[in-house]
Amino acid sequence: MSNLEIGIYSFPALLLLIFLRVPIGLAMFGTGFAGFWLVMGSTRLPLAQLKDLSYSTFSSYSLSIVPMFLLMGYFATLGGMSQALFKAAESWLGHRRGGVAMAAIGACAGFGAICGSSLATAATMSRVALPELKRYGYQGGFSTATLAAGGTLGILIPPSVVLVIYAILTEQNIAKLFLAAFVPGVLAAIGYMIAVSIYVRVNPESAGVREPVPYADRLRAILDVWPVLLVFISVVGGIYGGIFTPTEGAAVGALGTGVIALVNGGLTWRTLLDSFTDTARSSAMIFFIVFGAAFYNLFLARTRVPQELSNWVVELGMSPIAVLAVILVIYLLLGCFMDSLSMILLTIPIFFPVIMALDFGMSPEHAAIWFGILVLIVVEVGLITPPVGMNLFVINAMDPETPMVETYKAVLYYVISDLVRVVILVAFPAITLFLIPG
Amino acid sequence: MAGLHRIVLGVARFMALLGGVILTALILITCISIVGRAVNSGLHSDLVMGIAPGLAKWLIDDVGVGAIRGSYELVEAGMAFCIFAFLPFCQVTMGHASVDVFTNMLSRNVNRVLDFLIALLFAVALVTIALQLYEGMLRKMPNGFGAAQTSLLLEFPIWWAYAASLFGAVLAAITSVYVAIVRLFELLSGRVIVPNAVGADH
Repeated sequence: MSNLEIGIYSFPALLLLIFLRVPIGLAMFGTGFAGFWLVMGSTRLPLAQLKDLSYSTFSSYSLSIVPMFLLMGYFATLGGMSQALFKAAESWLGHRRGGVAMAAIGACAGFGAICGSSLATAATMSRVALPELKRYGYQGGFSTATLAAGGTLGILIPPSVVLVIYAILTEQNIAKLFLAAFVPGVLAAIGYMIAVSIYVRVNPESAGVREPVPYADRLRAILDVWPVLLVFISVVGGIYGGIFTPTEGAAVGALGTGVIALVNGGLTWRTLLDSFTDTARSSAMIFFIVFGAAFYNLFLARTRVPQELSNWVVELGMSPIAVLAVILVIYLLLGCFMDSLSMILLTIPIFFPVIMALDFGMSPEHAAIWFGILVLIVVEVGLITPPVGMNLFVINAMDPETPMVETYKAVLYYVISDLVRVVILVAFPAITLFLIPG
Repeated sequence: MAGLHRIVLGVARFMALLGGVILTALILITCISIVGRAVNSGLHSDLVMGIAPGLAKWLIDDVGVGAIRGSYELVEAGMAFCIFAFLPFCQVTMGHASVDVFTNMLSRNVNRVLDFLIALLFAVALVTIALQLYEGMLRKMPNGFGAAQTSLLLEFPIWWAYAASLFGAVLAAITSVYVAIVRLFELLSGRVIVPNAVGADH
């Protein structure tokens, strides 16, 4: 068997392991090790690689942003900001048709600006918004679907853990990626609000109405969310303005949200320890996948599969947009049963060279950023697509009275909104790139 | 077995908390360094140098206001320690991301066998990783070929950082061997000791 063949056969082997419930990082590590062994004829080289690979992966300066962002997210959850955000959004939007659901979306977007994780955003906002939605007569499935979709804004709107991983894998500038994600993130929030208003027109019985709030109260509610704005502007503004590195920005964000949580009384000895263990669990999981992927990619590079695949795709002579469309559809399908980070770590080393080999009529850096944002969106759709959208499970579990099927039905509106947005962003790259020079 | 499980869980939790404390320290060091750097460049500015050159010079040279020297290196070494310290907890609480849609269709017994095989594979992997990290550490120590490798700015021996990481790596390896034994015991006895909490959380 040639090295190239070993490389190609490693894909089905890897997928088989993953489908047999082998943790994704372990599956990549194991396949990489076995592949290396076959290619080299001995275990000497893979073992030698391991002498430094674990330490060098875990001590990566740019990756150290991840535990800091995770801790920042947990602190943000404790800081009571979800309440203030929802109240502010609700006072402005609540009296419209479907307004309370729109407010939940808006509050999720605001929370996404200080939290880089979808599940944390969905879970935190649900605790605040689900009871309110129920109080104003919003149906269960509609409410849970809204929050599941709103949660994805946690990752679409920077800071975003998935985007950090993409940046590191493809050696792109994190600050530019964050900036590029901003407008598509806002578009996502608007698209979801439009989905809400369509949903309540198709299903008028699904939402109640309430009286408008006086303007004085609305302004007061807006003022209450200043800590969120402060943290967001110092983190994202500081990173983009070149005042500090992304890792330093994450440290500032973690400290900032920590202080807010402390002042608001959410951060006690007990919740601090819980934040530590939650951060520990998520960080270890993410870093182990990164490590497994790094090892698997060392092996893949040796088999020359990524180069050969991109050569092959270029020789096919398909239009670049068609190739892009195929890749995005693969993500949508994978997203039905895999989590977003695993998908990115598994596929970017293979798809990214393909995209870079094609000519989209823009600079390589622009193509890389544009592709990153598109991938970010399609992998997030996976969080809300049945049957195993992670967000759907988490939110549905918080509202036991609502059958899962009801959530599935309502979430379709948001999935369609996502798909429309992907088409728009593919058709008009400038929406993503106009802020990025070069 | 339940008593043993409490001990393993306790040690893993302790390591996770220790990692959390170090992570917090790294965050604080980074923030202090940013403030120091900002104040330092402010003191160097024409305005301050024009108004109070003596004070500015004193603060910069004698008090040492500025970025913390080698804070990047501290973050790197500290983060490696944190992640290795986090691993045992993730291991014993089944925190690793996996795909369970397809295996849900399989019978309970098949799943038990899978649980054991996965735990066994994990144990082999983590023991290998710990052993190779140890080998990697030996190469950074002073040996027949020369002095120990040191970091660029702080000039601490790199093997110190490896040794700190090795502590977590060894505990992770032990934990994974323990989980494999538990799974074997569950497979043979039909009892459940550690629930399999499949799923990723992010």
